[in-house]
Amino acid sequence: MQKVSKMAGQKTISGDLVFRIVNGALLGLVALIVLYPLYFVIIASISSPEAVLAGKVVLYPVDINFDGFQKILERADIWRGYLNTIIYTALTVILSLLVTVPAGWALSRKTLPGKKFWMIFFIIPMFFGGGLIPFYNVMSSLKLVNTMWAVILPSILSVWNLFMTKTFFETSIPDGLIEAAKIDGAGQFRVFTSVVLPLSKAIMAVMALYYAVGQWNSYFNAMIFLQDETLYPLQLVLKEILIASESTVGGSGETILEQFRLANQLKYVSVIVSSLPVLCLYPFVQKYFAQGVMIGSLKE
Amino acid sequence: MATLSLKNIQKIYPHSGGQKKPKKKTGEPEKKSNLQITDQGVIAVQSFNLEIADKEFIVLVGPSGCGKSTTLRMVAGLEEISAGELYIDGNLVNDVEPKNRDIAMVFQSYALYPHMTVYENMAFPLKLHKMPKDEIDRRVKEAAAILDITQYLDRKPKALSGGQRQRVAIGRAIVREPKVLLMDEPLSNLDAKLRNQMRAEIIKLRQKINTTFIYVTHDQTEAMTLGDRIVIMKDGFIQQIGTPQEVFDHPANLFVAGFIGMPQMNFFSAKLLAEDGRYAVSVGGCKVALSEEKQKNLAAHKAASQEITLGVRPSHMVLSKQAGNTLTATVEVSELMGSEVHFHANADGKDIVVIVPTMDANGQRIDSFHHGDALNLTFSGNVCHVFGQDGRNLEF
Repeated sequence: MQKVSKMAGQKTISGDLVFRIVNGALLGLVALIVLYPLYFVIIASISSPEAVLAGKVVLYPVDINFDGFQKILERADIWRGYLNTIIYTALTVILSLLVTVPAGWALSRKTLPGKKFWMIFFIIPMFFGGGLIPFYNVMSSLKLVNTMWAVILPSILSVWNLFMTKTFFETSIPDGLIEAAKIDGAGQFRVFTSVVLPLSKAIMAVMALYYAVGQWNSYFNAMIFLQDETLYPLQLVLKEILIASESTVGGSGETILEQFRLANQLKYVSVIVSSLPVLCLYPFVQKYFAQGVMIGSLKE
Repeated sequence: MATLSLKNIQKIYPHSGGQKKPKKKTGEPEKKSNLQITDQGVIAVQSFNLEIADKEFIVLVGPSGCGKSTTLRMVAGLEEISAGELYIDGNLVNDVEPKNRDIAMVFQSYALYPHMTVYENMAFPLKLHKMPKDEIDRRVKEAAAILDITQYLDRKPKALSGGQRQRVAIGRAIVREPKVLLMDEPLSNLDAKLRNQMRAEIIKLRQKINTTFIYVTHDQTEAMTLGDRIVIMKDGFIQQIGTPQEVFDHPANLFVAGFIGMPQMNFFSAKLLAEDGRYAVSVGGCKVALSEEKQKNLAAHKAASQEITLGVRPSHMVLSKQAGNTLTATVEVSELMGSEVHFHANADGKDIVVIVPTMDANGQRIDSFHHGDALNLTFSGNVCHVFGQDGRNLEF
């Protein structure tokens, strides 16, 4: 009997081992597929453009140089673009949280008067847009064209994010806690600020990240509404640099070749310059994704 | 400290989506899941009338879905009152917000604020009432001392055990010194040992804080031990209101008789005999004359000879050594409980329980019975409960 159970145990252990190996291999492959392009961008940005074009840069940088970074970072408009993007992103995150979180809370309440109407009100623009020209006309009549608010205001409420917040409140904040606060003497606003918000750090972190990444990477609104180059966000400045470097016509064959080399390297450098700050943001936000904020509050 | 008056309180949960239930042809309300469903919706509580005296401890007890928690939540202001009037200290409070009713509530699920320490949890209602800091500190520390949680004041709820969390929940309620303290099954999430301990502590707490209590439970032991008066509910209706002794000794109907008392009262199909103005019950060849008090009560209600359900509590059934004018039962299971044995037996086609002490008054061990053994049982006329065909106690 003991022998049988021992054999069964061995079988389980070897089964587990095979599963772990296959699992590890598959996950490793997935990680490689995701991480290699990022790694390639980094090594390509510091390698000689000729080596990149010749396909010599595969696992490590070749002929390391920082010409691309130098070219980009020595430009004053890059730093101004950075500053603009940081301002736009910070303001978007603050304003969007101010709008999304209370709206999500209100929509999550069964007692909200006209809840059905408000849901439809928010869902319609999720599927139907007014089109670019009416959008421009609205911004123009609000005198927002060529101001930073043309970039910020259209981004402060994403209906998708709003519904995600609403669902979080519906599923994560128990009614019992709200009732306890009401009996303790809290009004609607106090319930929201003293009980709901402190328990919603996770969703606020997620929303802040989504809005921040969205605004950081966006360039379309800026391209449409901004004519003043001093208001350009980073993405638009990089776009301008890339276009300028690619479209230079004329000069000797050597100059054209040099421009071509530089344009190719600038692509990779601009990816790094624009992505690095956002990548640095993740570790700070990650701690708010911790589970179990409700532990100890309720026993269901 | 306050008086409460609940007058003809009713709670109807409307049908969702504004859909109306089709009317039955007879026009009578539909019966489903024991709760009445009408055109207006599901009736959770109806015709609830109760006067609660100052500092009284009222227990609402009944099975799941009987409307006890709904009634408590209506008192708290968490549920709208569909019809009827609720007065606290003579003031109509039907439309008063919970925060303005001067009540506190302890929830079954504790409902502690997980991001606050024990101290902050208890101080929260006082802060909301804009109490000075030193007064908040005094009250929180005083309540913590009463509940023996002083050493946990800096901890968060997640670092506490179930019993400690429930103490914090009680502490948060009592620091306010509310007019009425509502408790919604506060002990049902605790294990049996802790529940007994906390029950005793609630009794002690009641002596210390001296306020009006309304306590909801489905546990009849809690109801019997805690309440000055018990309100027994079923399917949204009050079945009986009385002191624990009253409802135990004089259950108003079969439901109350079966619900109050552990083990449950034994029921037999029997006959009420009215002969020469004297009442007796006859069951399984055993005839027992009823006590004088019962004679009077039945005579007052002009009870006639009829088929009845006879109720006798397990502890009131006595083993008889001789057969003859006894009820014979066959033992199916015996459970040794230490000082007594519970015999689960079959008598006259009904499953009954008989409680027998393991020793007599002289310390002599009483003979044990096993599966299939016959028991000769007797009971006296003053422990008989006589219920009519409609389930009502014929003495009422």
